[in-house]
Amino acid sequence: MQDDINNIRKMFEKDLETYSKSGDFDELYLKYFSKTHGLVTNLLKKIPSLSAEEKRTFGTSINTIQNELKQAITEAKAAFKTATINDPAIDLSIPEVPLNSGELHPITKTIIEMNKFFRYHGYSIAEGPEIETVEYNFRKLNLPEGHPATDLQDTLFVKEPDILLRTHTSSIESRILSEYEPPLRVIVPGKVYRNETANASNLGFFHQYQGFVVDKGVTIQHLKGILEEFHKFLFGENVVLRFRYKYYPEVSPGMGVDIRCQFCEGAGCTVCRQRGWVEVLGSGMIHYNTLKMCGIDPEEYTGFAFGMGLDRLAMSKFGISDIRKLYSGEMIYV
Amino acid sequence: MKIPVEWLKEYIDLDKTPAEIAKSFTTIGLMLDKPIIKYSKGNFSTEVLDLEHRMDRADWLSILGCSRDLAAFEKTTFKMPEIYSGDIKKPSKEQIVDIKVECPDLVNRFNTRTFKKIKVGRSPDWLKNRLESYGISSINNIVDITNYVMVETGQPMHAQDLSKFQKREILIRKAIKGEKITTLLGETIELTEEYFVLTQNGMPIVLGGIVGGKDTAVDEHTAEIVLDAGNYNQVNIRKSSRRAKIQNETVLRYDKFLHPKLTEIAIERATKLILELAGGEVYENVDWYPKETPERIMNLRFARIKTLSGMDIPLKEVESILSALGYVTAGSSKESMSVTVPYFRTDVEVEDDIVADVLRIHDYNNIPTVHLDIAPPKDITPEIYLVEEQLRDICKNLGFHEHITDPLVEPDPKNDKQIKLENAISQEKSALRTEMYTSLAKVAESYTKNKIKTSYLFELGKTYEKQGSGNDFADYNESRVLQVLIGGDELTAKEKAKTTKRVLASIMRDFGITPYAIDVTGDMNIVMHENVVLGEIKYDSFFLYTEALKNAKGIPNRIQSEYKQTKTEDISVVMPKTTPVGPVFWKIKEIDEKIGSITCIPEELDTIIGEKNKNVLFKINYSGDNFAETREKIIVLINSLGMSVRELSSIANDL
Ligand SMILES: [Zn+2]
Repeated sequence: MQDDINNIRKMFEKDLETYSKSGDFDELYLKYFSKTHGLVTNLLKKIPSLSAEEKRTFGTSINTIQNELKQAITEAKAAFKTATINDPAIDLSIPEVPLNSGELHPITKTIIEMNKFFRYHGYSIAEGPEIETVEYNFRKLNLPEGHPATDLQDTLFVKEPDILLRTHTSSIESRILSEYEPPLRVIVPGKVYRNETANASNLGFFHQYQGFVVDKGVTIQHLKGILEEFHKFLFGENVVLRFRYKYYPEVSPGMGVDIRCQFCEGAGCTVCRQRGWVEVLGSGMIHYNTLKMCGIDPEEYTGFAFGMGLDRLAMSKFGISDIRKLYSGEMIYV
Repeated sequence: MKIPVEWLKEYIDLDKTPAEIAKSFTTIGLMLDKPIIKYSKGNFSTEVLDLEHRMDRADWLSILGCSRDLAAFEKTTFKMPEIYSGDIKKPSKEQIVDIKVECPDLVNRFNTRTFKKIKVGRSPDWLKNRLESYGISSINNIVDITNYVMVETGQPMHAQDLSKFQKREILIRKAIKGEKITTLLGETIELTEEYFVLTQNGMPIVLGGIVGGKDTAVDEHTAEIVLDAGNYNQVNIRKSSRRAKIQNETVLRYDKFLHPKLTEIAIERATKLILELAGGEVYENVDWYPKETPERIMNLRFARIKTLSGMDIPLKEVESILSALGYVTAGSSKESMSVTVPYFRTDVEVEDDIVADVLRIHDYNNIPTVHLDIAPPKDITPEIYLVEEQLRDICKNLGFHEHITDPLVEPDPKNDKQIKLENAISQEKSALRTEMYTSLAKVAESYTKNKIKTSYLFELGKTYEKQGSGNDFADYNESRVLQVLIGGDELTAKEKAKTTKRVLASIMRDFGITPYAIDVTGDMNIVMHENVVLGEIKYDSFFLYTEALKNAKGIPNRIQSEYKQTKTEDISVVMPKTTPVGPVFWKIKEIDEKIGSITCIPEELDTIIGEKNKNVLFKINYSGDNFAETREKIIVLINSLGMSVRELSSIANDL
């Protein structure tokens, strides 16, 4: 028995040296302590069959060798680890490439940012069909057939005259107003379509961001309030706004909002096309007839709506010169 | 609308620079659209403001209309131009040019007058300069006067040489299909009955409300003319001009809502200028106006101003704004006033439009800014929006880049389900996409071109399909789709397939959708969950219907807070080479709750199992100790599928 113990000890010393090079201490552990075939385990298994005297003599020795070996493995493990950490081949001063991660599209990033602002102000998000009826896209928005203002948005027809590709996200406004009871506070990001030839600033489709509120006691002052905060959020605290009358069929009174050109501070430059101001957004009080046609009593409720194009904004934010690049492989992420 | 400032100042007393004038115009609704133009010719020079016109205000297509609003805003006087107030001669019976209208649904008014012994010649400089600074070339004094009055008042006018008439009569009727007219510009247009024409002795001489013909045009020999100012059906002119592809100053005005009364002002103004500049005599002629358009009286409640603006604007100011804009008070009480809407304000539709007039002249910048302090209403954001946000996050976190590609594609004539657009400008963008793989694959090519060897891409968007005849709105379907694609040539198909499957598995795990299965039918691999199609997978890509994903969504739970004893066992199964492994995998997985994760490794074919079979290794992870019963069930299952278990090796979990 004592020989066995001595042999194991000798063998272990040799093994420890070998395994310390490879660092495979789990295997070493199993060789000696595996429940089924470990060398020390096998010794321990013999204890019950020993005589009382042998138990006294060898029991302690076996226990001792068990503890010693286990401790030796633990220490060797720790030493090995220390050695690898201090490996001179680890040079933290050499930069490495970042791990892979995906990028979101500039339009998505812009929408997410705006959603954050409006969610905080209690707005829900709405979505809806892109193939739309004339009813929701024009009629309920106070645009009767043949009205001159239909020129403002050249329509792409799926089936003339009733089925079209929505020309603005206001179509979702008329859907929501028709389906839900006020009070409502909603934003609508989405694709819209116009019959335009593709060039650097038009593409046939683009993204709009619409918002509207219908409640009791809502006035144009509240519209100015949210728009002022929104523009500060988008362009910074120092943004200078200009409010002016602007006609949109689905609102009355209508209001256009410009920001003072941040490049020339109003003096006129190529960015603002010499205007000194850059048009950002159209808005107004939801038209009396629109509310009525959507089944909301315009004497009880008032509301405002605003809408803006996202593409130009995203392009200027991310330095993209041509709208076509936004939607083709000409813009990639590196 | 272009406004030569020199011309504008004829009607308004204003000591302001063109830039300041433009600023005021912008505030009240006529935004300066382009840089201020400097026009000069000889001794004449003026700045020209190019103002954005928003289609509603027909009177903003006249210098008078713009001046009136500017005067109201600047609180200065606005003067109408001089009109003819002298005698108008009564014509003899033979002298009358008879007016007959056969399409009264298209003509509201046709106001005429004749002139004799006029001298056609060149216009005086002031007239030429103004017209040319506006952008209309000078022709002769008569044509110039009709153009001048049109720009000044907004009413298109027309003069014709009576000596070129066979009969002293103008008949207005619908065109006959196949009939032709040659315009002043020499272009010949073939007509249909959708157009209407002014005819002379059976021949069309004017394409109604759109363009005059060559045959009766005024020239240097003309001595007698008939002058007309018409008012027509706006929708017809709108459609007809677009059909004929004619856009000109006349159409620009006639396709807006002009008021029939405007013809009177225009005729009187033109009469004055003709007699002054071309001499001659003026005679009365027919004013065809069978149904007079009544005046409109509307009620303005003061409370409504407050409801929309939140402001108390003093009554005096309201009254003076409205009066400067041409409204006439017809009566008033403590709560409201009734006003006659000026005839030229055909855009005023509802009370709120009058409120808009008050607020805009009061200046929007004077409206206070207030924050909404009403509690927000309940959230109606649909779940699908949140589902797609989550999908986007998952893809991004797995290293995939988001792209948005054009939903408008080239039509595929063989695809009946594809939705084709009826009026797209370009052929290559005249249909809606039915899938997103193709466009995303094109994006992947640019990555390759940019030396990025493997591209990981996704798009969240819609695909579109038509069912049935397409006559009903319900025939058109939009599906919300997530498309994922691995591009580039660096990875082998097998490597791509592995990653594609792992991405799909990650999404399913995060959405708590288990089990899901891949149904193999032909060369399609359909992603299924409880008999519902979730999408389709290929070696380099997959798409999922996000709406289906939303419905299948479960509650994922990856948190383990108690230690669990586990054991792993390999089961090697021999099955026919062509059998897909996925269904076997999911059947084993469903046996009982003791089965944790399963890893599945298809092994190389070897001679022992033969040519027709393959060997698949299932590494099964059991939770708990006693899994003999579960293992037995697996073996029974495999045998019931007509497959056999090759060997069984159990590795005790020693550590
Ligand atoms: Zn600028």
